[in-house]
This record gives sequence, structure tokens and C-alpha cells, in this order.
Amino acid sequence: MSTMTAVKTPVIALLGQPNSGKSTLFNALTGSHQHVGNWPGKTVEKKEGYFTKNGERYGVTDLPGSYSLSANSDEEVITRDYIASGKADVVCILADAAQLERSMFMLADYAGMDCPAVLLLNLMDIAKEQGKKVDAKKIEQRLGIPVVPFIAANRKEYDGFYQAIDRALEKKECLDVKKLDQRYREMEGGYYKALYDLMPKDGIDGYSPVWLAAKALEGDQVVIAKVRESLSIEKKKAFEETISQIKNGALLTGDCKFKWIDETLQGAVSGKKQRGTLSKFDKKATSKRWGKLIAICIMLAGLIASFIPAAPIMMIGQGLIGLGGGITAGLTAMGAPPIIISLLVDVALNTVGFAISMIGFVFSVNLVFGLIEEVGYMARVSYVFDGTMTKLGLQGKAVMPFLVSFGCTIGGAAGTRVIDSWGQRVLTIALAWVVPCAATWSIVPFLSSLYFGMGAPLVIIAIFAVALLHMMITAKIFGKRLVKEEDRTGLIMELPPYHKPKWGALIRSILVQTRDILWKAIKVIFIVSLVFWLLTYTGNGNPETTILYRFGRFIEPVTQIFGFTWQTFLAFVSSAISKEAALGVLSTLYVGGGSLFSATFGGSGTAANLSEVLATSITQAQALSFIFAVTFNVPCLMAISSTYQETRSLKWTLKIALYYFCAALILAFLVYHIGLLIF
Amino acid sequence: MQKLNELKTGQQGTIASVQGDTRFLTRIISIGLTVGSRVEVLRNEKKMPLLLYGRDSMVALNRDESDNILVEVTV
Repeated sequence: MSTMTAVKTPVIALLGQPNSGKSTLFNALTGSHQHVGNWPGKTVEKKEGYFTKNGERYGVTDLPGSYSLSANSDEEVITRDYIASGKADVVCILADAAQLERSMFMLADYAGMDCPAVLLLNLMDIAKEQGKKVDAKKIEQRLGIPVVPFIAANRKEYDGFYQAIDRALEKKECLDVKKLDQRYREMEGGYYKALYDLMPKDGIDGYSPVWLAAKALEGDQVVIAKVRESLSIEKKKAFEETISQIKNGALLTGDCKFKWIDETLQGAVSGKKQRGTLSKFDKKATSKRWGKLIAICIMLAGLIASFIPAAPIMMIGQGLIGLGGGITAGLTAMGAPPIIISLLVDVALNTVGFAISMIGFVFSVNLVFGLIEEVGYMARVSYVFDGTMTKLGLQGKAVMPFLVSFGCTIGGAAGTRVIDSWGQRVLTIALAWVVPCAATWSIVPFLSSLYFGMGAPLVIIAIFAVALLHMMITAKIFGKRLVKEEDRTGLIMELPPYHKPKWGALIRSILVQTRDILWKAIKVIFIVSLVFWLLTYTGNGNPETTILYRFGRFIEPVTQIFGFTWQTFLAFVSSAISKEAALGVLSTLYVGGGSLFSATFGGSGTAANLSEVLATSITQAQALSFIFAVTFNVPCLMAISSTYQETRSLKWTLKIALYYFCAALILAFLVYHIGLLIF
Repeated sequence: MQKLNELKTGQQGTIASVQGDTRFLTRIISIGLTVGSRVEVLRNEKKMPLLLYGRDSMVALNRDESDNILVEVTV
């Protein structure tokens, strides 16, 4: 036995409701020894890692966040199946000591699972601030498992935690469910007893009879199907009959669970608040009149604050790209072949530079908005914007990524991290792409005033109107698949009490994420750059020898239908890589000078006489269609990379990108033909 | 007995009944709103979700959903 345990790495699974501090604990334990992937066949994030203590290695699995262990979502089913499968040696359940009664529900829902467990009473510091005293020993006696007062953000005081884990691994104590079972048995109607007696003695697939009976009683269809399969014909009939008699079973078991929680906590928690009060700030922050305004101001301030740490990092990235000229000159002097130099400088160096710039912004957005989430304010944003955002099938928090996208879509996509459902996160990103980012304004005003003079503001108003329409249509198209009708339940959410941010824990977790994102970004940007480089490679500096040029010329008859000349079409394509590139590419193609690649990636300036040349080469209708096409095109390569990072789905990332490319073409077509009627 | 969304700000009561599908019931229970539990309405304004206090927690609840919850008003 002892040799067995020495060989096998014990696995600790972390379980807890949102805001319970689960990810803080996971990051503190594993640090950089973590791996983020997907649960097999699902789009649910799977976080695993390990840590070493006294020479022994422990595996850690961060179970997906959920409020309970019902079958309401993939997250919940994955979580409970994982625990039942026996892959974890101990389950660590986190409860919020400041709101113990409610947050113990996860433990009550867990009760009956036959896996050794530890209860962590997290946020003890906040409970103390509120004047609450929690007697962990008393609770421990009643539950029969280690109960540890805990502060997840305080990594230096984890001793109690480590001891409890070792004790759980050694003694394998499971949660004492006798009292809960008794409560269930006292339930009116006697349904629990009837169901319990029908359950196979050893349970099913690692689920115990107590747990199965309670879940079947709640009307949990996944469990009911499981039980049905395992029963003999006779018992199945009795089972169906009992199930059909039950009404609102979830209320019955819920009542028992909370009575059991009350019993467990009786005399163990003192200084409990009897009534709730809104703080002065919350009175304003949740009010109908000020709530939205305050939220928008805080989000915008957050956006501006994001640029403070982002700017120096972005400058490093840009600086790297800027070295390209010197390196090219140096390598040329050493006699390196131009194609190798171009590959090294244009592709490799650009990739790293781009990825670093992107990381700067992603890091900052995660830091600033992670902070706003951490102190508890984001839940208020969700509350005040709930009405507006549910119309799009989103939760109120989605307003934040939208606002951030006015600055930069990369940050908008990164900001969706605070949205806890995968489908809603993807939908939010898909809609955030519509929002015209800051780079749009380096192109649109220039072109609009060049072609429409005093009419330019009208163009900008039209852009906003189209953006709104675009969002509504996109929400319809993507919403159906991403956020199922039955998932569009109204808001039921806890507004956590405000707490002081734990800087160390926050920065630690973001640094780990950032490292992860950087690798992915480098991969995505490298591949796309390489493809684009091949398409635009020219041995003699003349854009007319590139594949992209030939392609552009070849399909010009088609692109003309959309109002594109071959030059504007290529500029449109390039704008999907970098929006700022649109003008640079036009300059290269119409005026000449510079390569197509560096016009797209390097943001090389535009020729002085670009205005005059453009004014004579493109008609007003063509210009208008170009403006719309570029504005609503795929935002940029780094936004794609950031989207891939947050959705963790290549399929959905490509879907969204393709959709935007096509939608921009359709828009160009419509605008061009409307333009032909007007001008 | 009154519907939860008809309570005024500051009113307190005990939840007398909750109606809805399994999904809604499990969700509302997981946040601590069970039959017999005490709630206080912290904010109730038209077109905005209700803001409640119950079981040590502040909870936001959609108006439509709170239509299905009946409360015995105490204060």
C-alpha cells in the first residue's frame, strides 16, 4: 500500500461557488505549474496543475465554477462526474466565511459523494471585519471532515490547509451525511425513502444512493436516466411512479439542505447580521438614475488606466519591430540572401513584436478589470445593465468588453474573462468585434472628409447606426447557437460584499495567464504572418510581382461589384490584419514605395500626395463602400488571436472571422449600390 | 401573501412559495432563497432586477422570476 501511494501523485480537486476564491487558491498552489485546456469534447475550461510540498508532488484540478451540482449546465455535469469518477483523492470545498449559510450550499449538494473532503472557510479576514466569529472546530465535529479557517489570498498561511490535505489523504474521512439523510427521510410525502430504497446498494458510477435519491427527487433528468437504466423492470416501474408523484422536488431537498446547514452552523457562527443595508456607494451604484452612468465612467476610467501599464510594453513591442531596418542593413552587409533576411525580419521579428504589443494590452486589461471584478464591483455592473444586455442574450457584465472595444478589440476580447459562461463569452466577443476601435478613427475621418467634406459627420453617424444594426443581427445569428433558449433565464446572482484587492494574488494569476497567452499569440501571429508574407513576397520590391497582386487583379471584375478596385480590395484584405494598414496599403499601391508586407505590418507612413492621388482614382461611392468595409472588417490579427485565447475554440474563432469578412463584403456591396444612387 | 416583486424597499418577509421549472428551482435554491427563508427587499424599482438580502447575502433577482415567489410580509 505504502509503495502504491508513493508512486501515485495524489490529486486535489477544488470545488466552490463563484466568488468563493477557488481560482485564487488554484493559482497560489500551482503558480506556473499549471496547464489550461478543455474538458474532453466540451468547451469548458480545464485547469490542472501541481505543487510540491516536502518533496512530495500533489496534483490539483480546478473544477469548473458553478452554484450547485445540478444538471443545469455542462460545467455542473463535468464537475460531478469528475468527482464521482474517483480521479480526485480529496475534494477541497470552498465556502465564503462571510456568507457561510448560503455558501455552504455547495457542501450540502456535495453531501453523499463518496470522496474524502476538506472544507475551507475562505475569506476569514472579511468575516472578521464584519464582526463574525466562526468556530471551525465545532463545524468539523459535526461534519466529520477537516474544516479549515482560511484566507486564499494569503499564501504564507497555508499550513492549516496542507495539514488538512494530508490528514484527508491519510484518514480518507468522508462527509458525515447521517443528519442530512435523516432530514431527507422526515420530508413530507416520504418520496426520499421510497427512492432511496430503490437505489442500487453500491450506488451507480461512483454516486452514492443518498446523493442519487436526492437528485432524482429534484427532477435531475441526467440522474433519473442513469437510475432508470440500472433498475430491473419491476423496480423501474416503482421508480417511475414515485417520480411522477413528486412536485417541486428541488424545493423539498433544498429545504432539507438548508436546515442541515443551519444545524451544522448552530452556535458555530456568531455576530451574524440580521438585516442587509446598502452602503452609501451601493445606493448610488445600484440606482436606476446613477447606476449606469457610474458604471460607464468606471469602465472608461478602467480603459484609460489600462493604457498606463500597456503603453511601455507596447513600446517595447513596437521598438522590436523598429529594429528591423537596422537588422536588415546589417544582414545585407554580411551578405545574407534577401529572402532569408525578409523572413527573419518581416515574419519572425514582426511576430514577436506584435505578440508583445498585444500582450501589453491584454495584461493591462486583465489587471485593471480583474481588479474591478475582484473588489466586487463588476457584479453591480451586471445588475444595472441586465435589462439592456439580456435583449442581446447577454449578461449585464458584457457592457464592459463593449466599452473596452472602443479602445481596442484585443482588450475587449480579453475583458470577457469576467463572464462566467462560455457561450455568453463567445457571443460577447462576436458582438464586441462590431464596436469601432480606436484605429478606425485613424482612417475613417481622413477618408470621409477627403470625399465628403462637410458631409463627413453624416458618414460617422451612419457608421454608428450600422454598428447598432450589425450587433442586433449578429446577436440573432450567433445567439441561437451559443446561448440556448433555456439558458436565457433571468438574472439570479449574488452581489458580493466589497473587499480590498489582494494585489499579490491578482498579479500572480495574471502573470501566469499572460505567459500562456503570449505563446498562443506568437503561434497564431506567426502562422498568419508567414502566409501573408508568402502572398506578398517580392524579390525586387515591386508589389506587382506578388501573388496577392495577381490575385487582386484576377478577381477585380468580381470585387468591382462590391465597389472595390483591386487596390482598395487589397487594402481591405490587409485591414483584417491591422486596421491602420488600410491607408498604408493604398499608399503603396496607388502612389508606390514600400512593400505591401511592411505597409500592412509595419505601419509605414503614407505618401504626402496620397490625398490627391486617391481623390482622382476612387469615386465617392467606391470610397464610401471602402470606409464601411474597413470599419466592419475583422478588427485585426491580434484581435483574432485574443479571441482564440478566450474562446479556446479554433472553430468558433474562424467562424466569427469568416462571418465578419463576409458581412463586411455584403455591407460594401449595399453601401456601394446605395452610393451609386446618391452620387 | 404578496408577490415578491410587489414588496416595497425595506419590507421584509418569509418566502411562502416558489414556482417554476426544475432549472429555476435548483438555481434559486443554490443562492439560498428557499421556502421559509427570510428576505428583505433592498431595492425594488421598475424595469430593474430586485435587490434582496437573505441568508447573509445580497442577491439580484430578475423581475419576471420574482413574480413566481410569494412572500408572507412581516415588516
